[in-house]
Amino acid sequence: MNRKRALISDVFKVKKRRNGTEKFGAVDDGDGRVDVKSTLEFLMTLFPRKLFNDTLPPIVLKHQLYSIHNDKTLVDKEVNKLQESGELLTFQLGFDSEAFGLVFAADYKAKVLAGEEGRATRTTVEKFLEKVVSSCTDLSFSKDKMLREFLFTDPEITQLVKSGVLTVRDAGSWWLSIPNSGKFTKYFIQGRKAVLGMVKKAKYNEVLRAELEERRTPSQVKFPMKYHVHDIIGAELVESIPTTSGTLLRFADS
Amino acid sequence: MLGFLSARQAGLDDPLRLRRAESTRRVLSLKLNPDRDVERIHGNGINAIDIDAAEGRYMLSGGADGVIVIYDLDNHSGKQQYTCKAVRTVGSRHVHRFSVESVQWYPYDTGMFVSSSFDKTMKVWDTETLKPAEVFEFEGNVYSHHLSPIARKHSLIAVGTKNPKIQLCDLKSGSRIHVLQGHRAEVLSVRWSPRYEYILATASADSKVNVWDVRRASGSLFTLDQHNGEKSKASSQAVNTAHNGRVNGLCFTSDGLFLLTTGTDDRMRLWNSANGENTLVNYGKVCNESRKRLQFTVSRGCSPEFVFVPCGSSVAVYALHTGKLVTMLRGHYNNVDCCEFHPDYQGAASLPAGNPAFQDNWSSDED
Repeated sequence: MNRKRALISDVFKVKKRRNGTEKFGAVDDGDGRVDVKSTLEFLMTLFPRKLFNDTLPPIVLKHQLYSIHNDKTLVDKEVNKLQESGELLTFQLGFDSEAFGLVFAADYKAKVLAGEEGRATRTTVEKFLEKVVSSCTDLSFSKDKMLREFLFTDPEITQLVKSGVLTVRDAGSWWLSIPNSGKFTKYFIQGRKAVLGMVKKAKYNEVLRAELEERRTPSQVKFPMKYHVHDIIGAELVESIPTTSGTLLRFADS
Repeated sequence: MLGFLSARQAGLDDPLRLRRAESTRRVLSLKLNPDRDVERIHGNGINAIDIDAAEGRYMLSGGADGVIVIYDLDNHSGKQQYTCKAVRTVGSRHVHRFSVESVQWYPYDTGMFVSSSFDKTMKVWDTETLKPAEVFEFEGNVYSHHLSPIARKHSLIAVGTKNPKIQLCDLKSGSRIHVLQGHRAEVLSVRWSPRYEYILATASADSKVNVWDVRRASGSLFTLDQHNGEKSKASSQAVNTAHNGRVNGLCFTSDGLFLLTTGTDDRMRLWNSANGENTLVNYGKVCNESRKRLQFTVSRGCSPEFVFVPCGSSVAVYALHTGKLVTMLRGHYNNVDCCEFHPDYQGAASLPAGNPAFQDNWSSDED
């Protein structure tokens, strides 16, 4: 019923509870432990592999998790744990300093190696994946780190940048990146703008979530609607309000 | 709740437990109080309020028109419907010329209060005669000042102005030679720690928050770094910044162990005040467009502590350590500028900017 108070002890009952009330369409997982891994897997299924001809591993944004689980701090902690155990990789996507992309490490390695088939830079990239990606969980690398700790030479670094695994951040430091992810970023930003536009154009700037997900995707939106809906809710670009006919999304203008 | 009461009666529980449980229950059921209201004196917005620490009875408010008003919060009329009367209003001769930015009662009694304003002065007032006992002049607009609530060995007022240097004015001698250097842009908020009388935190428009020990001759103790030293997360090679924009709100928790900061990057962060570590509690988007100091407050005496932050025209209540949004208190017609927590009644008084300026008392629904 009043699930939002589930984490606060019953002593602080503010209203008398009635027995056997239904949930009015608002779904919430009331269990204490937050299972981030299965949520990640669910979100990965929403990612359209065919759009990129299977060259990209499925990417999920960290704030999409916030739209499913209530407690942001717990989600952050779980993601950090998965990162430290080496299962998950985080990337700085570039269009927003707070938007982090998450990819399963196994998927990432498989796709990168598949993309490097038959290219001259393949050995360097393999070396990079084994040494650096498996051991260190950083988002970015600086020049002396690469030279000293991981013993890469300058021409090797150039090869890594050419193959797309590293992107230039500023002179002497690089972000870890996904090769061929430029298309993803472009389609993502386009799609986000289009979906937000749909919410803005609606009367009173609000749309029922179920209705938005049912709508025909406009031509600019290449990803499935659900992917974008999770994104805009998690990034707090729209407010999610529980109502008797389901969740309502209202454009947050501030 | 009856379980708590009977345990207290039988001596099984510490008395503090019952008080804390009741406080928390009342904070969770905060609603706009339809019976209590505060008299409207200010013509324009209200920028700062303070409730005195000694009795919790008098409230000071400083307005955008330069007027300062003292209200009596107690209800002696015997009726439930009550309007808090303004006890004194500062007269027109001594009043500030431009808007009053912060006000604070003298921490030990209500005989004196200090107000600072955009007319580049800070005045120390005698409450009896309502005349300024001392006037400190500065070179730039004064954004915020603070007197230490626990100081026994010093009576310094820390002042944050448009100048990047923080001035410490001494109440006893009137001297202002002590200056803290370290910021590069205007200082938007200053706050003394409620735990150690020499520790001061300052927030500035250059995105940095410094923590100082005023006894130390050389620079600040440390600067708060939002990435906790991990350069990899920063989008540019920036020096330690607490926020990605101007930092305009500072608040210590009542035990002084944690410090909350808000910035114009729409984030609020919780820091461990002993070592400056970011506790990485995620409050989500905390809308913040203020160009001046933002006054927000933390509850005192509740079991999960709550933060009350003005957010547009309502007050957002977050749980301190988990970061969850508990509720939004709606009731004002215009933007809310500041809010203050009253520990005895578990109410929060919040003040809007813009006209009409009236104050709402929020209290638990049984009040």
